Amino acid sequence: MTPAPPSQPEPTPVKPEPPDELRDWLRPLADALIPAEDGMPAAGHLGAADAQLDLVLVARPDLLRPLQRGHALTGGMSPAEALTALPELDPAAHSALLEVVAGGYYAHPEVRELIGYTGQQAVPVRVADFPEYLAEGLLERVVARGRVYRPAD
Amino acid sequence: MGSVDGMEHTEVLIVGAGASGGVAAGRLAEAGFRVVCLEQGHWPDRGSYPAPRPTYELEARQRWSGSPNVRGLAEDYPVEDSGSDVAALMFAGVGGSMILYAADWPRLLPSDFRTRTLDGVGDDWPLSYAELAPFYERTDRAFGVAGLGGNPALPEGADPPLPPLPIGAGGLRVARAHDRLGWHWWPAPNAVLSAPYRGRHACVQYGTCMQGCPEGAKASTDVTHWPEAIAAGATLRTGARVSRILTNSAGLATGAEYVDRDGSWRVIGADVVLLAANAIGTARLLLNSASPRFPDGLGNSSGLVGKRLMVHPFANVLGYFSDRVDSYIGHVGAKIVSYEFYETDTSRGFSRGAKWSLAPTGGPLTSALPTRAGSSTWGPGHHAHVRAHLGRTVSWAIFGEDLPDEDNRVELAPGLTDSSGIPAPRIRYRVGENSRALLDFNIAKATESLVEAGAYRTEYESLMRYSGWHLLGTARMGTDPATSVTDPHGRLHDVPNVCVVDGSVFPTSGAVNPTSTIVALALRATEHLIANRRNQRTAA
Repeated sequence: MTPAPPSQPEPTPVKPEPPDELRDWLRPLADALIPAEDGMPAAGHLGAADAQLDLVLVARPDLLRPLQRGHALTGGMSPAEALTALPELDPAAHSALLEVVAGGYYAHPEVRELIGYTGQQAVPVRVADFPEYLAEGLLERVVARGRVYRPAD
Repeated sequence: MGSVDGMEHTEVLIVGAGASGGVAAGRLAEAGFRVVCLEQGHWPDRGSYPAPRPTYELEARQRWSGSPNVRGLAEDYPVEDSGSDVAALMFAGVGGSMILYAADWPRLLPSDFRTRTLDGVGDDWPLSYAELAPFYERTDRAFGVAGLGGNPALPEGADPPLPPLPIGAGGLRVARAHDRLGWHWWPAPNAVLSAPYRGRHACVQYGTCMQGCPEGAKASTDVTHWPEAIAAGATLRTGARVSRILTNSAGLATGAEYVDRDGSWRVIGADVVLLAANAIGTARLLLNSASPRFPDGLGNSSGLVGKRLMVHPFANVLGYFSDRVDSYIGHVGAKIVSYEFYETDTSRGFSRGAKWSLAPTGGPLTSALPTRAGSSTWGPGHHAHVRAHLGRTVSWAIFGEDLPDEDNRVELAPGLTDSSGIPAPRIRYRVGENSRALLDFNIAKATESLVEAGAYRTEYESLMRYSGWHLLGTARMGTDPATSVTDPHGRLHDVPNVCVVDGSVFPTSGAVNPTSTIVALALRATEHLIANRRNQRTAA
């Protein structure tokens, strides 16, 4: 069965355009949050303030506003100072910063490959004829232990 | 449809095209009734679901959130929940909250219908498990439930129509642990197809069930019921938001006022009105339908409309394993379940119990920014933290029975409206003493389970705020009009041509995901309506 087509198409999202100053502020913060380590690249290096930011803001345009607040509040600080101050100054802006940086980072195909993430792929389910738990007799023993409900009329 | 004095008129008007509305519409249309359903949301577009997109987890936190307050879409109504321990979750659209549910499909247990008699708490239902069982069987087939019969947590006769979905490496680990502990476990029933069924495709394991199933393998009435209901003659009008039920001088419903997608206010007449808007939406509508004859809201002579809200307080325990269990692959609902601590044991210091569902723990963004138990690490150590979480964790989701409490309630929020100007609801909900003791006990036991399964570390969340999916109890059914809102078939005691067919009618909550019971009750109520059509009082 096929459902009817959507009766009210969603509006095409308007791509937010963060200013260069915000990108310049974000880049070192992203590197501080997700640094190059353990064979993984830093977030800024992978475009956290550039292409990945654009990708994130298309999916989540609501994040730009708190991000701009974070920039305004901590723009003159070092990355370490900014990351210490922002949770106190504006928790919502700090949360948005984490979502932007991590959201962009883990959406990057290189990162997904490096961490071995194989989710969100269409792999038809295969129902085993005789799953391991049956072969091992696990359910037989559950049944043998008896019912675990109380009868009631 | 027809018209009376130029006004559109139908035999049955249904408010809400979700789980119960879809079931009721399908059965009524099949029986030849003229049916109109008004749905404030729209047809979901499976092609727009975020599952395949790399930004899926980001979108899940806003546009595809379960919270109407977070989504903030025009078709949503706000729920003032700042004074509540648990936030209300739902979805407005054809299929209703099934679009975003996990599709766990357990039944209530026999004792859930008799908590007063057996345990001296809550209230007995005006029906028994045995009376509902035939309807469970029919709705299991209609929705295409995958699972395994023979579960000793249920009476015989609860065999799902399709074989169980894979339990995964994590499920097998925990199953073996329960074998060693001598504790109950069973492959979980899910309303997700394990094989092609009635023209629908089987699951392809995106692992994104709670943001819409692009394959249509997860059951929701937009794919399981509405196409056939419409083919049988039912009319489904989307973008149509009901503001109030209208009544005449005899105290009978005459229809409803609603606002359409263009913002035009309209009235539709109906012989019978079915409310299928969930336990917040239905209570809101009844309260918004106050009139000089019904000054406290429609059907509210008992004073119980909106009261006794139950949401299943929800805790979860996370276990970290050295080996990969890849729990982000496959269905999101339960892999396995345990009813070991479901029934009352007075030695534990509380009444009733909890059902456990072994759940996956999400993809990489959720590993970095957990939405359940867990923590975040930024800067040095970030990558090790994510690697420890991603694909190497499983979570026991613990649903505790929520005893009814009249202080937990849905009210109208002063000054708050939806985008059409219709008064919006406020919820007040506090986790009771019994629930807190129940959750604490089960957290300790679930931790024991995961440690036995080999977890080298566990974390827990004692109460998850964004967990209010299971909205129940705000128009409870019963035989006494002084202590219940509806009769045992959902008909308002005060207005006999208005029938509540959603989870509002639950006298108690049980401790299981309620959708399978909601749809079984909806089918039962609809069949009763059909069988008694000749005796049905109407305003006409």
